[in-house]
Amino acid sequence: MKPRSFFYPLLGCLLLLGAWELLGRSGALGKTLPALSQVLSVFLDAPRRALLLRSAAATLGSAAIGYAAGACAGAAVAVLAHLVPILRGGLDRMAVLVNALPVIALGPILIITAGREDTPAALASVPVFFLLYISTGLGLRATSHRLDLMFTTLGAGRWQRLMKLESVAALPSILSGMKIAAGSAMIGAIVGEWFGAPTGLGIVVLNSMENFQIPLLWATVIVIAAITLASYGLLTLAERAARRRIG
Amino acid sequence: MATLALREVTRSFLRRTGSRGKQSFAALGPIDVRVPDGQFVALIGPSGCGKSTVLHLLAGLDEPTTGEVQINNLPPSELQAQHALGIAFQEHALLPWRTVEGNLRLPFEVAGLSSTKERIRELIALVGLNGFEHARPAELSGGMRQRVAIARALALKPKLLLLDEPFGALDAVTRRRMNFELERIWLESRPTTVMVTHSVEEAVLLADRILVLTERPGRVRIDTMVDFARPRPAALMRTPEFHRLADELTASLEPA
Repeated sequence: MKPRSFFYPLLGCLLLLGAWELLGRSGALGKTLPALSQVLSVFLDAPRRALLLRSAAATLGSAAIGYAAGACAGAAVAVLAHLVPILRGGLDRMAVLVNALPVIALGPILIITAGREDTPAALASVPVFFLLYISTGLGLRATSHRLDLMFTTLGAGRWQRLMKLESVAALPSILSGMKIAAGSAMIGAIVGEWFGAPTGLGIVVLNSMENFQIPLLWATVIVIAAITLASYGLLTLAERAARRRIG
Repeated sequence: MATLALREVTRSFLRRTGSRGKQSFAALGPIDVRVPDGQFVALIGPSGCGKSTVLHLLAGLDEPTTGEVQINNLPPSELQAQHALGIAFQEHALLPWRTVEGNLRLPFEVAGLSSTKERIRELIALVGLNGFEHARPAELSGGMRQRVAIARALALKPKLLLLDEPFGALDAVTRRRMNFELERIWLESRPTTVMVTHSVEEAVLLADRILVLTERPGRVRIDTMVDFARPRPAALMRTPEFHRLADELTASLEPA
């Protein structure tokens, strides 16, 4: 990367952070916008840092479990719809229905069925399922017509076509879906925690808001944003690598 | 080995007319052609005359509207199932994520056969791609990609080789060179071959027999044998006999 392509984004970030610091110190927006330095000092305080780490681990765990379950289920159902075309219309409608359900409305139902501990993971899995169903289906159908004809002339069976052609060609689209789904899983997990999970970043957000611990609230939001951005960034790299290779 | 029979074959397509109703229009035929085993047939004709349709019918990628297509007295789908069909399209249709070697292994994998290192090396040498075993299609030139496609078509020693404008996307110099290479490669196993081409010279240089199709719906206008001895040297292209045949065929392509 050229140094210049670093320079301006870095400058922009520093200016924004500087403005935050000044605005916070001046108190122009009241007590709810603390200075950046005040927020960052939360991370230097050992007990609060430990709280954030413990909560982040819990939220990340639920999000990861929900993400993995939702992604596997979404991709598997998409493959089923692809292999058995007669099911596709119905499964498409079911996926749209799943997506149309407000996650918030599902919460209370999950609390009484899955329980408090598992609700965050369950809520994380719902949007991930939908995104992976759509992106996997699109990817499987995006195979080039030429390669499709080629496999027919080679005498390839349905399974060979799926394994050697369609599933590889679908990888960039699947990774693109996984990239977007990472953020959705975090949202699902945090909302799930609001329904009464024992620990997690969602709980810290609620408690710090109710107890007016404004710097802790902001610090928690920073942790959430960092996790989401990091997972998005990693999956973007994976998607790019796949697109380079699979083209 | 393969003998081909197209018996009174026609192919029509449905075309939408306006907002309602569909109209059938004839794209091909009737065509009646037999090809004996080991013959190299070139199909030429005006654009849209149904040359590629003939190839798709032989490959089992399309069904005739009336009539019958048979290879060794069986429908083309049988040949697919036997993994005995080799085909190369104008666009190479290689798997972009596989190397040259990987692409050449594909027909063996699909047929459930183990591909030996020697056979792959043999194929690579046959099309002159030594040193490019581990290159991906994106790293190869157009001519090299077509060589891989042809090597893949020949990988399982097909009974029938179908070539759909295999050199259509290449520049004139590369194309000429590939023509001579194709003859050399073809002479090694002499499968029954049908090649669609726009180039009359290419047809005269490579084929045992040339079929000229009429404008749509394509019918056989001329069915002529090409008797030059093989292997055919580049000097053949400068002889009066070559030019007479090429000129005659070119004239037959002009609209009547």
